[in-house]
Amino acid sequence: MTKYVVKRLLLMIPTLVGVAVLVFFLMRVVPGDVVELRFAGESSFASKENLDKERARLGLDKPLWKQFVDWMGGIARLDFGVSMWTGAPIIEEIRLRFALSLQLAIMSTLIAVLLAIPLGVLAALKQDTWVDYAVRIFSIAGLATPSFWLGIVFILMLLIVFKWLPPMVYTPFWVNPVQNLAQLIWPALAVGYRYSAVAMRMTRSAMLEVLREDYIRTARAKGLWEKLILSRHALKNAMLPVLTVIALEFAFLMGGLVVTEQVFNLNGLGLLFVESVAHRDYTLTQALVLLVAAVFIFVNFLVELAYAWIDPRIKFR
Amino acid sequence: MRHSLASRWLSLVVLASLSCALVGWLAARSFAQDKPRSGGELIFVVPSEPPSYDAHREETFGVIHPLAPHYNTLLRTDPFDRTGTKPVGDLAESWTVSKDGRTYTFKIRKGVKFHDGSELTAKDVKASYDKIVFPPQGVASDRQGQYTNVEAVQALDPNTVVFRLKFPQGSFLSSVASPWNWIYKADILAKDPRWYETHVMGTGPFTFVEHVKGSHWVGKKNPNYWDKGKPYLDGYRAIFVKDSAAQVAAVRGDRAHIQFRGFSPAERDSLVQALGPKITVQESPWDCVLLVALNHEKKPFDDKRVRRALTLALDRYQGSQALSKIAIVKEVAGVVVPGTPFATPPAELEKLAGYSRDIAKSRAEAKRLLKEAGVPDGFSFTFKNRGIPMPYEPVGVWLIDQWRQIGVNVRQEVVEAAAYYGQVLRPGNYEAAMDFQCGYIVEPDLDVYKFQSKEISPANYSRYTDKTLDDLFTKQSRAQDAEERKKFIRDFEKRLLDDEAHYLYTLQWHRIIPHSARVKGWTITPSHYLNNQLDTVWLTQ
Amino acid sequence: MSSVPRRIDDVAELGTDEARRSWLATVWEFSRRRPLGAIGGAIVLLNLIVAVGANVLAPYDPVATDYGAMLARPSAAHWLGTDAYGRDVLSRIVYGSRTAMLVGFSCAVLGATIGAVIGVGSAYFGGRVDLIVQRVMDIFLAFPLIILALAVVSILGAGIWNVILAITVPMIPRAALVSRSSALAIREMPYVDAARAAGFRHVRIILRHMLPNVMAPYLIMLTAYLGQAILLEASLSFLGLGVAEPTAAWGLMLRGAAVQFAESAPWMAIFPGLAISLAVFAFNLFGDSLRDALDPRLRTQ
Repeated sequence: MTKYVVKRLLLMIPTLVGVAVLVFFLMRVVPGDVVELRFAGESSFASKENLDKERARLGLDKPLWKQFVDWMGGIARLDFGVSMWTGAPIIEEIRLRFALSLQLAIMSTLIAVLLAIPLGVLAALKQDTWVDYAVRIFSIAGLATPSFWLGIVFILMLLIVFKWLPPMVYTPFWVNPVQNLAQLIWPALAVGYRYSAVAMRMTRSAMLEVLREDYIRTARAKGLWEKLILSRHALKNAMLPVLTVIALEFAFLMGGLVVTEQVFNLNGLGLLFVESVAHRDYTLTQALVLLVAAVFIFVNFLVELAYAWIDPRIKFR
Repeated sequence: MRHSLASRWLSLVVLASLSCALVGWLAARSFAQDKPRSGGELIFVVPSEPPSYDAHREETFGVIHPLAPHYNTLLRTDPFDRTGTKPVGDLAESWTVSKDGRTYTFKIRKGVKFHDGSELTAKDVKASYDKIVFPPQGVASDRQGQYTNVEAVQALDPNTVVFRLKFPQGSFLSSVASPWNWIYKADILAKDPRWYETHVMGTGPFTFVEHVKGSHWVGKKNPNYWDKGKPYLDGYRAIFVKDSAAQVAAVRGDRAHIQFRGFSPAERDSLVQALGPKITVQESPWDCVLLVALNHEKKPFDDKRVRRALTLALDRYQGSQALSKIAIVKEVAGVVVPGTPFATPPAELEKLAGYSRDIAKSRAEAKRLLKEAGVPDGFSFTFKNRGIPMPYEPVGVWLIDQWRQIGVNVRQEVVEAAAYYGQVLRPGNYEAAMDFQCGYIVEPDLDVYKFQSKEISPANYSRYTDKTLDDLFTKQSRAQDAEERKKFIRDFEKRLLDDEAHYLYTLQWHRIIPHSARVKGWTITPSHYLNNQLDTVWLTQ
Repeated sequence: MSSVPRRIDDVAELGTDEARRSWLATVWEFSRRRPLGAIGGAIVLLNLIVAVGANVLAPYDPVATDYGAMLARPSAAHWLGTDAYGRDVLSRIVYGSRTAMLVGFSCAVLGATIGAVIGVGSAYFGGRVDLIVQRVMDIFLAFPLIILALAVVSILGAGIWNVILAITVPMIPRAALVSRSSALAIREMPYVDAARAAGFRHVRIILRHMLPNVMAPYLIMLTAYLGQAILLEASLSFLGLGVAEPTAAWGLMLRGAAVQFAESAPWMAIFPGLAISLAVFAFNLFGDSLRDALDPRLRTQ
């Protein structure tokens, strides 16, 4: 087992490096640069020499490979540099937003799982009955609704019906749990509902496969509960694709909730991402991508460990 | 029992007294509403966050709104003047102008203290202006180009500052009243001219408390403010909210009192409908306008007949009526914001090409001009627009529709906002493109600077050379008599929009600020960079 | 007509046997046993018809502005009302389905298919090939969708084909991952090893044995991606990164004016939102039921 773990850990490194290379060059292929945007933007009084001076100060005039090496060297020392747009250290820019996005991702995943697994099992047990149909319609409705639409409807309803708006400023959970949850429960519900749909369908199909097994079918006479108990070992195996899905989506939740954050006015990583790309803030974008990639790779790693634990055959490939 | 006369008279007296007392109390209360009350925290939402804290180098209102209350300027625009054009003293107590118009002498107030306790003197004013006008190596000054006329800044004694100009300049006082020219501490600037990019330390009515990135900014009342009795507020809180629907929700849900940039007509209507008397709406023409830049370096836009045809096709009055319902544009205007001292009166404006009320006649003339210029039937070109929904999108849609009326088929290409200036406008990569002009103070020198020849103005995206226009600009800038200046501005406008049709003005933006009725003492101006010191603002109960 | 479903062991059998039964009978069979899927399928079909016949079905030109009838309520003249420029909402929804179907199908088919090919191939060949492909897929997977989309749009500009590219690229690695895990399970099966030992060509083994069993997750992915692509296009347009005005696209219709006038003119936001939800809903229902019908291991009897 240890060898497998070590092997998997080592494999994370080339992926991370690959991501770093990709984002570095992708950003520089996109036209426009931060100096131009910041100082020449809409007015016209900035002179070319001033712009070039700023570029030199930010290190943008050095050859590409040198910039890359400098940056990677910094990463190795855990120095992520400063934002090209504000000049503040990247860690400072990301810290609070990371906390919010992480909390939202965890809450949404919890809600998704709490909704998906019982519903999926229920739908499988009562396949082709109206219960199954109702559950499937409910969950697919969650998939089908655009998240920003849902968000707008949420906010409007809160305002019009309850005349109340969630808090606009993020307070960490340990500072003021009530205010923290009052702000985050709504987007977590909107997002969690959507993700529960995917997980629910996977759970349902996994459960259905398990129920087809012969030894389960012969236990038909014993009733549903017995089926469940007998199937729990096989269920472990069937949960693999569900785990994969949840793992994939969690990482996405960390940096991809741009529209949700916009609609609910959350100070999260998604909006920071969009902003940093719009500003062509190379250092910040690179750091963010690495961060999200690291989260994703780490979660993936945990899932692969779970795979190996559940199905030992996989280890020996 | 019969009431005696005496008791009846007594009841009458009591009743009368009570009524008088009631009326008096009500009157006192209503007067009290108009008398500033001390206390309370103003909460406002800001759509954009400051990239750095130094206004000398920034150009976004995201710096002004949260930070201006921490600083003073030498002069400022009168906070109660709706046109935003009257300079009054801030740190300057009084000033004199020499006869030849080239020397400006300002007397600085005594007893003004920085937030760290040290006293402000003329030395600090000189150091700040040196940074703006003659920035040292490695220091960026965003508006340096506007002060090329300044020869030198001197501190004659601790309370006198003198500006020497190369030429007389009618707009100089407005330049000094610029909301960006915060006065910093000379000693700090001497040690590190970039200190103010990441720190806050001024003389303003509020002191800095905290800035949480992406979240909010907090300021607290300065107990030692030089203007005794002010500020009225205990403090303020600026919350950064990027999405406009979320900003409206904040005002509506009473989580914020005001937003200092502007809301759209639909947002105003929804707030008024939801909150009724709890909302006050202030509106004003805005010192911002969308322009069509016609690239003179690309055929057939080098032919002024084609350009004139394109401006004649636009029914600006109908556009104003229709678009003002859905977008933040409204007024039909020339080069100066309507309602301000140098604006052209509407009757005279109608004489310019494209501003006539007889649109049928204008369009017939437009078609004739196109034919004369040899433009084929069904002529088509690509119009590049910037990827910002409000109001670029509605104005773009409207323009295309209007040009269709004279048989010109325009294809719109929307370019991502961040890439727009760098990839489209500056390299000249377009036939016609949407350009934009936003002034921070209504002042013709600033508002029409960009229309000079491309050799002088790098922001001249129509890319033409017109020496007559340059000459008119210089004449109006150096005119010392207001009437004389008006005439030169009028001539400039006629040549720019009518004779040569170098640029097409669409519609003037319209600033709409619906805010909590509790907010008093704040007057709207055409600029969202002005009147943000918050020293005159107070909250009712 | 036999009512007992037959096991289909081999993909190759599908073609000849099904051709003998009339396709009407199959459809009827499917609808009767899986009503939800039938409803979904009907809606998908409707969407396709509307998309193809947009020119004929739409009452107005979708880009024709009418400043005299801005923000008009639904009425006889405009069944679903007009938007902020006086454009007919119904016509824009009809033409919007063309954009949606084009984006949806292109992205889903390209993404799922390319991803499946990569995933199955990677699982089958195993060893170093698998390792390298996995790393590359991981790199793209770790990339947030929005950055890729932004990058594509910034470099190539706006426009429908760039949007399709921007959406397809992140879909490929996800499809590859899911296909790979299904294929892995099959790869362990003894008959695959036997086939290899017998010397059958790789392609034949993949097609005859692995593919049918990957078919189920492939079909699910396809239909899920169809819906997801439509949603992604809507999100990208909402952010201003998708197709541009005045093209009629459902996501674009939900942006800006629709939100501002959400209370005074709700029809601007409700109908495009419904159109999106309905389309995605239908695709998923249909896909679910289709997969249930085709997967031999899930026969109820």
